[in-house]
Amino acid sequence: MGTNDLDARSYTDLLKGYIETRDERALYGAEQISKSFIKNNISPEEIVNMHIQALLEIYPELTDKIQPTMNFLLEAMMAYGLAHQEYQLLREKQLRIRSEIEVAAGMQSMLLQSEVPKMDELDIGVISVPANQMNGDYHHFVKGKDGTISIAIADIIGKGIPAALSMSMIKYAMDSFPENEMSTNTILASLNRVVERNVDPSMFITMFYAQYNPDTGKFYYSSAGHEPGFFYSDKTKSFKEFEAKGLVLGVNPDTTYMQSELDIEKGDMVILLTDGVTECRKGDVFIERDEVLEVIKTYMHLPAQDIVNHVYRYFEKIQNFQLRDDFTLIILKKVV
Amino acid sequence: MNLKIQIEDGNSKSIVRLSGEIDVYTAPKLKDALLPLTKRQGTILEVDLELVNYMDSTGLGVFVNALKLSKENRCNLILVNLQDTVLRLFQITGLHEIMDLNSTIRGVEE
Amino acid sequence: MSSQSCVTIHKEWDIVAARQMGREIAKQLGFGTVDQARITTAISELARNIYLYAGEGKVYFEVIESLDKKGITIVATDTGPGIKDLSLVMEDGYTTSGGLGAGLPGVRRLMDEFDIESETGKGTKIVTTKWVR
Repeated sequence: MGTNDLDARSYTDLLKGYIETRDERALYGAEQISKSFIKNNISPEEIVNMHIQALLEIYPELTDKIQPTMNFLLEAMMAYGLAHQEYQLLREKQLRIRSEIEVAAGMQSMLLQSEVPKMDELDIGVISVPANQMNGDYHHFVKGKDGTISIAIADIIGKGIPAALSMSMIKYAMDSFPENEMSTNTILASLNRVVERNVDPSMFITMFYAQYNPDTGKFYYSSAGHEPGFFYSDKTKSFKEFEAKGLVLGVNPDTTYMQSELDIEKGDMVILLTDGVTECRKGDVFIERDEVLEVIKTYMHLPAQDIVNHVYRYFEKIQNFQLRDDFTLIILKKVV
Repeated sequence: MNLKIQIEDGNSKSIVRLSGEIDVYTAPKLKDALLPLTKRQGTILEVDLELVNYMDSTGLGVFVNALKLSKENRCNLILVNLQDTVLRLFQITGLHEIMDLNSTIRGVEE
Repeated sequence: MSSQSCVTIHKEWDIVAARQMGREIAKQLGFGTVDQARITTAISELARNIYLYAGEGKVYFEVIESLDKKGITIVATDTGPGIKDLSLVMEDGYTTSGGLGAGLPGVRRLMDEFDIESETGKGTKIVTTKWVR
């Protein structure tokens, strides 16, 4: 009530001043008081009432004629006042929800943390950026006791919180598998059963799972309906799509997968991605998968982490810094 | 973008004609229209995708859901006239192996 | 000490009658212009809810005058379908009338005290009071 009275007093004074001088300074004062009204949560009907009180004081003789019009205006302001109050409350609520999501996103990125293994023969670059706060893409690296590296990259249908929740499930399921004792196709088959039992019928997950054995240079991989990655052969100087077929996880509990293998030699490169990379949009036009390769080619002489950073920056820019989908890109370069 | 859904309701066969984009915003509308039709035992449910020029994984999810329900209810779900970009999505995800797809009009090799 | 007045709502013009009666009582009690407008807006919302969702009901006014305070209590009752989820209709941003009108949370903010009882299939009773400051 105190600030209200104060505002009412200065409103009357400002109005008097303006009637006398008609100058910009008084109008600037009105702008300032308007901000103070907002700050002190003064509703439009109260402002109209202040105006009525000010008029009573300044032009008592006009009141008879003017007052009914002002009362009318006051009534006309009622719904605005209510809507404004509601807006304030919804804004507070939104801030609360947002901070809750921030906490969840923080927990998620802790959960997601997958240290990129350091090894002499393989240069690894990774970037994973969510479109919103929560990431629906998943990737992880595990280095086994025998030196084998396992790499998983997955895309959970949809995005945001539901996708993030499914992702935690995948993470725990994978942590429970015996390390390196399973082939890439049996891992996908086991995961498929977990996902099929636990997700909504309209949810599914795509995943590419690979193992690299540095002693033999062999790269084993299986795909569960995942956006195909690319293999660059230094010998032929050409890119090839991974031809790995398999049904997405979570649709059919009896699905089996195939394992393929590949020899990786010095200078070769493996590119794994999610459809956030290939489905970038330039306005209404989709980027062709070839364009992704073109961008990679431009930077392929750089270290792996620099390549993925540059590619991300390129696509971020052509999408006006507004990702439509989560974006994950992994590049492995055999350097020795 | 929008999605138009037109349903031709028959006794033993229903045809759902879609046009527009199926994405995270229009998928719920498609789900509401499609799923009840998959619960009719022994019927054929044909979905015509000729005028669908874009679909994302959320849209694919609706068809996965419809497939599961139609199997439970012995309803025969068929997708016809898929455009290349949409068909590619079914191929990458391996769903084309377990779903009844018919792309004859667009003449896409399979 | 209290006295009672009542308006039956079954057509749109009854909302106006309820407003008028409420405003008159509020004025006599010594409410300022702004509070009169608030009380009237609250009456409008309650009467409109009856008109739109219950079809028929009543709006009562009670004047409360004790030694230390004066106020007006509005009681809106109907025998309509009732409200299934009270916490949902009391949530800001949820309005069944397509976003028009302030809804019940608005009424609660316009007034000082607010109470609602509702039973599905039987009807709804809302009691709300504003005190003269």
